Amino acid sequence: MSFLVAAALAVGLFVVLPAAAHLLRRGRAAELPFAPAAWVPLARSIARRERRLEDRLLLLLRALAVLALAALGAAPLASCSRLSLSRGSGGSVALALVLDDSLSMHAATKGGASRWERAKGGAVELLSSAREGDSVGIVLSGKPARVLLAPTTDLAVAREALADANPSDRASDLPAAVALARGLISDATQADRRVVVLSDFAGPPPAEGTPPIWAPLPELSEPAADCGIVSAERRGPHVTVTLACSVPEALRGRSLELIGAKGTSVEPGAGTRSIDISSGKPLATLAPSPRAGVQVVTLSTDSNEKMLAVRLTGSDDLARDDLAAVAPDSAALGVAVVADPTRGSGDTGGAPLLEQAIRALDRDVLVRPLGLLPEDAAELDRYALFVLDDPSGMGPEPRRALTDWIEKGGIALAFLGRAAERMQLGSTLEPFVQGSVSFRESPPPGRIDARSLLFLGPEAGALAELEVRGRAVFDDASPAGVKTTARFADGTPFLVERTLRRGTTFSVALPSSIAESDFALNPAFVALLDHVISEAEKRRGRRHTTAGSSFGFGGVKPEVLGPEGAVTLQDTPEGPQASAAIRGFYRVSIDQREELRSVAIEANEITDVPKPRASGAFGGARAASNPTVDVSNETALVLLLLLGLELIVRVRRSVFA
Amino acid sequence: MATSRAQPKTALGLDWGELAPLRLRARTAADGAWSGLHRSVRRGAGVEFAGHRAYVPGDDLRWLDRHALMRHGALMLREFETETDRTLRLLVDASGSMAFRGTRGRGAKLAYAAVIALALAWISTHEGDRVALDWLGSGTARPLPGMGGSEAFERVALALEHAQPEGVLTSDDDLTRALVPIERNARRGSLVAVLSDLVDLPDTALERLAGLGHRGRSLVVVQVLDPDELDFPYEGPVRLRALEGDRVVDTDASAVRGAYLEELARRQREWQTRLGARGARLIVASTADEPGEVVRRILVAFRGGAR
Repeated sequence: MSFLVAAALAVGLFVVLPAAAHLLRRGRAAELPFAPAAWVPLARSIARRERRLEDRLLLLLRALAVLALAALGAAPLASCSRLSLSRGSGGSVALALVLDDSLSMHAATKGGASRWERAKGGAVELLSSAREGDSVGIVLSGKPARVLLAPTTDLAVAREALADANPSDRASDLPAAVALARGLISDATQADRRVVVLSDFAGPPPAEGTPPIWAPLPELSEPAADCGIVSAERRGPHVTVTLACSVPEALRGRSLELIGAKGTSVEPGAGTRSIDISSGKPLATLAPSPRAGVQVVTLSTDSNEKMLAVRLTGSDDLARDDLAAVAPDSAALGVAVVADPTRGSGDTGGAPLLEQAIRALDRDVLVRPLGLLPEDAAELDRYALFVLDDPSGMGPEPRRALTDWIEKGGIALAFLGRAAERMQLGSTLEPFVQGSVSFRESPPPGRIDARSLLFLGPEAGALAELEVRGRAVFDDASPAGVKTTARFADGTPFLVERTLRRGTTFSVALPSSIAESDFALNPAFVALLDHVISEAEKRRGRRHTTAGSSFGFGGVKPEVLGPEGAVTLQDTPEGPQASAAIRGFYRVSIDQREELRSVAIEANEITDVPKPRASGAFGGARAASNPTVDVSNETALVLLLLLGLELIVRVRRSVFA
Repeated sequence: MATSRAQPKTALGLDWGELAPLRLRARTAADGAWSGLHRSVRRGAGVEFAGHRAYVPGDDLRWLDRHALMRHGALMLREFETETDRTLRLLVDASGSMAFRGTRGRGAKLAYAAVIALALAWISTHEGDRVALDWLGSGTARPLPGMGGSEAFERVALALEHAQPEGVLTSDDDLTRALVPIERNARRGSLVAVLSDLVDLPDTALERLAGLGHRGRSLVVVQVLDPDELDFPYEGPVRLRALEGDRVVDTDASAVRGAYLEELARRQREWQTRLGARGARLIVASTADEPGEVVRRILVAFRGGAR
């Protein structure tokens, strides 16, 4: 507060003057001596009572007038707690609101309201100060950062969009959200462009840029003591629980309980339910050691319940993360691998290199080696990816089963090698390649063009140094839907993709065996596996993911029921997808079968400490928009009204006197 | 709204105002009023018929006029004039309420009463009569027995000069203490002048003071009031504080002025009626009035009342 503001507000101290004058006046009247006072009627007259009421009314009016005068003096200078857009030049403003809808925004502030409620309230206040000609865009910073409302000058639409915004259990991606917000207004016609961030600033800070951001609500970054369950996964009788705490005190005296998830807020249902699940005996209990950061603990149970949940007893500043769904055994992405251990293993033995490479990706997948090729498509229903290494052809039953499974959305990957030349009669490599496949032991002339494999990332560059002793050669031109993604230098195919209805096959002209090439030791090999697994996730969807991720269904349009009711599907180039913003179980109904998927949260949403920053911390002069509300006109009107009221009271008094 | 110019000065002394010096003001008043009005007369047993008056209980039945009773059916007493030696007994109210002085009074009510009393004493002593002084309400002022001559005047003057308005006269005991010396020592033919505002007196005061008019004594009660007490000039909301006791009245002066004046008039009528029945007179004096005029009215009253 500047000296001028203080001086102007100090005028308000003169409010005591009317009161003092009133008291002094009353005092003189009280001290009038009069000997025959006993002969004067004792009763207070009605006029006196009315006069006294009028006196008090006059006193109130005069006191308010003095206060209004002081406010009028300070109005252009004083700050107001209500957010508003100041207009230095008086022109219209392009405003990009970044609203944090991540999990940490559920924490309560000192005022009792949650951070989300305060942030949303601040956004509403800002919108209320917008006027015709201003454009408003809204970006939600929960991962992935997304545009809730493209810039519009229709403020009513902006208010509606803001009213419909809800918090989620997503992680925060503030840098991306701020970049998105800057992009939204970069082409705005308004010269005055502003990015307002209503967030707790937990997590990576946004990058500096133009326009600088304005964070008008520092109270959102007040620290909160929180301990929550990041994820829980079941592996047989064991439930592995990942806990995260911002401070050790948040976990002190609390215990972890394994319970049935029915009736809790993580169960798929028609609406929000209470987290109170005190009924029923816990299946297992554990008291984790109180410490900040992430820790993993294990609970054991022999329960056959399909839906389990873990909860933290006691309370902290954020109750929403004290309950989590336990991802079932089958939640991980199933990968079936058919590989010959004698050829696919290294010299040290053990699992085939292919399996080791898939596990080394540290993806949430469940690798299952298969000894024989499946002869029924139903055997592959539990898998999203089928990987075949150096096959020697497939008979009619496995071929039909594999084709049926792929056409329903399966992803199959085949590494073709020397065995392809030894196919038995009646066996082919359908559905991977059509026609005959030969194996050439001569090294390819030149290198693989890595530019066609950019989707593998920087690892694709390593293919230029590939040592190859032999390779499979096949025809890639005949069937429709075949796309050669990469070729050797002599033009023979290296990687071929074939689309079969909702599924895809990938055929690689090199086996995983290190006897034929060092491809299995090349970084591009792992990158290729990672790419294929990602494709499988897109088609079949991950069974266990984090809030904010999307489920894919391989082109079909299922019904999805989440913890807060039915989930609306979004049409994407990869087919319909469901965005899981809330943690818990999601029941997906596809082709008359149901599967259960679970959604957890990210640990850094709990462990990242909010970083308080001053209002306009990124400020240049324009960014540090002072939330000043010039209420001079309103104050002057109030003052005028008070003076008018006093005049009326005085006239009335004189008339009725 | 009128306001009091002077606060009661019970602690700092009496507010004499224009009435000081007392002796000069008293002589001036006496000179202006005394023009042979004073006659040493009394009504009662004697030889020269002075008229009739209504019988009141306690009168001597020897003077009952049976002719008037038979003719008019009313009990009447015959009165006669006779010359006798007289003593003027001054009964001055020095209670707290006598300290009041409004905006228009010449001085405090006690100061005004002192001027009147001393003027009467001056006239009396110059006629060769005796003067006695008694007090109502004051606990410190000492009474003076009946005495004559210039020394009597000086002693009365001295006593009046040092009078302080103080005390409260609310109990019958206080009243009895003040009246017993007069009832005991005032003989037939004595003149009794009571100077008081008649405010905050005990309920029996009227009856007891009227009783001083018995036994051949002439009684004149002078009600000394400030002009503010006579016309209640205040306006608007006022808080009135009595000078005796702790009574405080919050009221709207404009609204209650009529009620107050009516109450004042009712009390004065009651005094006049009760005193008149005993052959006494009530004179209402304002402290704004010329003291000589008031003295003259008292002398007239004494003469008219002496039967």
